[in-house]
Amino acid sequence: MEHGPPPLFNQGVSARARLAFFSLVAAALIIVDAQVNALDAIRNGVEILLYPVQRVLLWPRDVAVDFASYFTTIGGLSEENTRLRMAAIEQAQRAQAAAQLQLENEQLRKLAGLRERLDAPGQVVVALYESRDPFSHKIVIDRGSKEGMRAGGPVLDETGVVGQITRVFPMTSEVTLITDKEQSLPVQIVRNGLHAVAFGGSEPSTLELRFLPANADIENGDSVVTSGLDGVYPPGMAVATVTRIDRDVKDQFARVVLKPVAGMSKSRMLLVLLVEPPPLAPPTETGRGNTSGNLRGDHAVAKGVRR
Amino acid sequence: MKPWWQRLVGTRLATATVADVRPPTLGRTLQPEQVLRPVRPAFIWATLVGAFLLNLLPWGRAIWVPDFFALTLVFWNVHQPRKVGMGIAFAFGLMMDVHNGALFGEHALAYTLLSYGAITLHRRILWLPVTSQTIYVFGLLLVAQLASAAVRLWVGGASPGWWIGLLSSALGAAIWPFLHLGLLAPQRRPAKRDDTRPL
Repeated sequence: MEHGPPPLFNQGVSARARLAFFSLVAAALIIVDAQVNALDAIRNGVEILLYPVQRVLLWPRDVAVDFASYFTTIGGLSEENTRLRMAAIEQAQRAQAAAQLQLENEQLRKLAGLRERLDAPGQVVVALYESRDPFSHKIVIDRGSKEGMRAGGPVLDETGVVGQITRVFPMTSEVTLITDKEQSLPVQIVRNGLHAVAFGGSEPSTLELRFLPANADIENGDSVVTSGLDGVYPPGMAVATVTRIDRDVKDQFARVVLKPVAGMSKSRMLLVLLVEPPPLAPPTETGRGNTSGNLRGDHAVAKGVRR
Repeated sequence: MKPWWQRLVGTRLATATVADVRPPTLGRTLQPEQVLRPVRPAFIWATLVGAFLLNLLPWGRAIWVPDFFALTLVFWNVHQPRKVGMGIAFAFGLMMDVHNGALFGEHALAYTLLSYGAITLHRRILWLPVTSQTIYVFGLLLVAQLASAAVRLWVGGASPGWWIGLLSSALGAAIWPFLHLGLLAPQRRPAKRDDTRPL
């Protein structure tokens, strides 16, 4: 009943042959995808098919979140209101100072004959979900190439740098967080202007400064901002604070562990800066010259120095 | 009178024969097995797609959540190896790759290996009681996950804490008995319903 009569001779292709075929195809796809971006068309196609399903599946979570926030108490709301009002006053003061400083800066730059800084327009996006990949830290946002997203665009939240767009689909985009191990960005220490390169840390959700000499002037609690040397991140965006420094005598370099400042809030709103992508890096061995943050360490350092 | 060694061998043989006559007592294997009704292909597809959708839910960084699709795939590979094969595993794997932003082909490779393992072992697994099947399922899921991990280590290096993901194999194996109950229920249904057999 359960098993029909088996076909005696026509059993189809053997399981081992199928395994060989599909594994070879998968291995070929992996190798091609790791080396070049030739498979983006297929990826886009699959993503377009999956997109409506993904959006529908996000709905139960959003309903649950809305439901939970419906029951916030009046006390909590008034407290938040006071806090926001104080923040607004504080920021108003800073904004006025910033306007004045900007004017002064422009005049000084004109005097010194420097190029003016360009203000990058931003677009507010909503984070849809985090990818469930134990090997990378990525989030998916709700805007894609249709809304003008481009690979390489920096992503911020209200406290600091979140990451960088690394792959763009028509409706969505993937953002690789700065804590991802493959991600790097040029930074500067606010206290003394020391330049360094921050990489995703070897501990979960941390960053590391590499290639700093063991006697570098760094202290716990130093805040670290983008230096803007890569032409991707605008200078002066808050990145992280120093939490630990290991100055090993045996080691030539100091081991500096940072804690990112962004991503602390529960809000899922993010800001994408629509900067012009920097000119393509000279072809590298990895072949991934289009997203500057995605380069391996040495290339990123070399690029930062050259620019 | 026979020599001593012949006597010894003789008695040995005699005892062996007596022991062989006794029916083997291998626990549950001798219990009556229910003859199942044929499975409906629509049900297979519905469960596979449903498990895939479960995987698409926004689980966030909770990488210990079991891979529901892998589990359902193993189930149908074991129970219906001629209906669900490696092609289906490969196709769903590609979609999973796009959703997770992983390397194109990473999940496809893992699911293909998983499917092959399940199809090769399906007679052995079905022979065992469900609780023992769990161990086999754990092994299969672990091998698939390690294959995926090996690809990532080879291409890009490890990310901290990736081994927490291996917990998902254990959790997946833990829900195997329940999956077994749930997915076989439609085939255990009697042809005609009555009050004594409500299902």
